[in-house]
Amino acid sequence: MNIYKLLLRLYPRVWRDRYEEEFLVVLASHPFSLFEGFDVMRGALDAHLHPYLGATTLILSERIRLMLSTLRRSLLTMFCAYCSFIVAGIAFQKLTEYHDFAEAAQAHSLVGFSFDLVVIGAIAALLAVLIGGLPIVAAVVKDALARKRYGLLFLLATPLLALAVFISTTLLLEALAPLGTSTFLTLLSRGIFVAVFLGAAVASTGAVCFAVTRSNIPARLLRFAVLPSLLMTLSMLVMFVATLVWGLSLCSDVPQLFNGNEGMFGTSTSGSWLRIVLVMAIATGLAVFSLMRGCSARSALRKPAR
Amino acid sequence: MGLPDLGRFSDPSILILASLAGGKKHGYAIMEDIESIAHVRLGTGTLYGAIARLEEYGFIEALPSEERGRRPYRLTSAGISFLREQLISMEALATLGLRRLATL
Repeated sequence: MNIYKLLLRLYPRVWRDRYEEEFLVVLASHPFSLFEGFDVMRGALDAHLHPYLGATTLILSERIRLMLSTLRRSLLTMFCAYCSFIVAGIAFQKLTEYHDFAEAAQAHSLVGFSFDLVVIGAIAALLAVLIGGLPIVAAVVKDALARKRYGLLFLLATPLLALAVFISTTLLLEALAPLGTSTFLTLLSRGIFVAVFLGAAVASTGAVCFAVTRSNIPARLLRFAVLPSLLMTLSMLVMFVATLVWGLSLCSDVPQLFNGNEGMFGTSTSGSWLRIVLVMAIATGLAVFSLMRGCSARSALRKPAR
Repeated sequence: MGLPDLGRFSDPSILILASLAGGKKHGYAIMEDIESIAHVRLGTGTLYGAIARLEEYGFIEALPSEERGRRPYRLTSAGISFLREQLISMEALATLGLRRLATL
């Protein structure tokens, strides 16, 4: 496969269906350059952010179906980004639960203020997810009962099952490898703990997304969910910036704590903070991208087709 | 007629419309024509980002392909009106700018 076809794969399928042939002819008509490669990648990003581009020739019903499907995918991607952010947020909570950090938050105003902002952002984001998500979950339940597809209900129950598995595993690990056992057992126990925690998070998120994908969700609920998603994404942005500021102010005001080994499982504090910030940055970026795409699909649903 | 927001594709869009004002053309011919009339080389991604928007807004329309990968486009009546409005506005700005320059 040549470089042109590879670059073209970056574009959405609908866009490719409409412009692929002529696009390739134009691309192949002059020597490839870095500028051209960058321009094509920028064009691909633009096409993803504006999913209606390339759908002009579709009949109205096809166009509406495509925009609704894009809107649903965007909302689900935002939900996945939120769940990833929450995993990082839980790690941040674990990092800051020690007495030293609480003292630092009280003694240094910026450390305390940024920590409070993370808490406020977490509450706002959770509220937004509930406001936008609960009507969709109710629609999944209604659809599952109406079409007798009880597997969808099982998928919705997966987060509860995953939580039960996680709690059971944690209790089991505490019983089998209590604190003070050998290093190997401690490492093994922590490895299992982290793997089960991440596995439960992935399984829960995946199951809910799969259930929503497989259900008939009224378009008005999907359109409505964009508004809470905006609040959720803004909250994620605030939490990300606040976490960044928290670390930087801790580094400046309490360097001995920041440079110590108070991180997760006694690892470097700064290393733990950096990993948390990195995950938050990726999740926030993904949420912003999906929000823009979702808003674009939502506005295209309002436009009459020509 | 309300003017659509073409964002960073505003300038390429005007260039494409101006190129198509000279007759129907396919993508590569538009690119070449713009290079000769405006000395601007549009990247393929930018060219098709603008073409897709102009099609979406109904300012241009695709004609049946003449040969594989060479689909010509032409201006629609909405595209002609839009281009005329834009060019009149540019002309007014150019006239004003030149008049002010003359006083320097």
